[in-house]
Amino acid sequence: MKIALPPIEHNQVGFEALVNLYAQSQDLFFESVEIELTGWFDADMCAALGAILYRLGKNANSIRLDVRRSEVEKILAKNGFLSHYGRLGLPDTWGTTIPYQRFDVKDDRYFGRYIETRLVRRREIPTMSSALIRKFRESVFEIFSNAVVHSRTELGIFSCGQFFPRRKRLNFAVADLGIGIHRNVQEHTGLRLTAEQAITWATEGQNTTKRGPIPGGLGLKLLREFVGMNGGCIQIVSDSGYWKQEKSQVFTAPLCHRFPGTVVTLEIDTADTSAYALSGEIKPTDIF
Amino acid sequence: MSKNITISVFEVVGSPLCVAADDGQKVYERLALALQEGRDVSVSFLNVTALTSAFLNAAIGQLYGVFSEEQIRTHLKVRDMQADDLVLLKRVVDTAKVYFQDPQRFRQVTRVVLGEDDDET
Repeated sequence: MKIALPPIEHNQVGFEALVNLYAQSQDLFFESVEIELTGWFDADMCAALGAILYRLGKNANSIRLDVRRSEVEKILAKNGFLSHYGRLGLPDTWGTTIPYQRFDVKDDRYFGRYIETRLVRRREIPTMSSALIRKFRESVFEIFSNAVVHSRTELGIFSCGQFFPRRKRLNFAVADLGIGIHRNVQEHTGLRLTAEQAITWATEGQNTTKRGPIPGGLGLKLLREFVGMNGGCIQIVSDSGYWKQEKSQVFTAPLCHRFPGTVVTLEIDTADTSAYALSGEIKPTDIF
Repeated sequence: MSKNITISVFEVVGSPLCVAADDGQKVYERLALALQEGRDVSVSFLNVTALTSAFLNAAIGQLYGVFSEEQIRTHLKVRDMQADDLVLLKRVVDTAKVYFQDPQRFRQVTRVVLGEDDDET
């Protein structure tokens, strides 16, 4: 079976194409599936595509990738994505990729080291203020922690990123193959919401699906605050819901099909020199 | 009896990256043990370079499901924490207080703590 993917950019249209791929392939077993990447492919979308292909592989399907454009093939070889599909990797001479990786939920520390070595401590990283690096690092840890705490994924967590030095942008994505925000919210609150309304619910106020002795409900809000200050963008795709915050503007839409988990993409402006000044100093004695 | 105990987060976690809820749980267990005994306890974040709300929720936030604000305020101190991490911890603590204000949650946590229910997500 051959499935052609149109150009994939990290936006709603790109996600529509990926969920369409999942819808076409989710019931296949023991098939040879050839995925043709016909045009451009934003490297951070490897996290979402990799998750879908991993899910496909679980049904004992054999997957082959046919990358039509040589510059896309080069990027996906450099970030290690193609190595997962029987191709050789390429050295990343310019250091603009953050490699594609799959993690298990118990790999928090391994993920921490991946971010440190592949992002924070790399010389090639464009000049980013130390405050920005710190906030960005915190944000990606929050995204990963959210996947660990909420997704109940048994198939893993997938991440990938890309620098655009001239555009001064850094993109990073984390995808999981868990139960998704929609089902999580429905099971824990009983609220009857659409998939995109469920994402909105999870990103607002002190809402949380957490039950039991450990509180929650802060990670996505911290992420939203950071992106609002940075002027960047967050996208969340979960089940058939699409949610985006660009600067401080939120946009939601239903997708034509469902994603088998959750994807969070983060885009930040690397030229941001905000000090991320704190709103009032807090003394250790004022915490409790 | 009121000998002050210091718990080094770096030592408990074994890494400067305090990002995982599981690692936060290890810190929580030590803090809870000290508070149950009525000890004064200082939690030191010396050499910690990264923190998440998930870690702090597990390490400190969940104390509010077991101990009163008064007990925590009286016996727990924070040391060696960077200014913006203090802001994050304050957010975690404020969120935990609200979280445990929900009586249904509080009863559920009490059942879990008493071993009558292990439903945790």
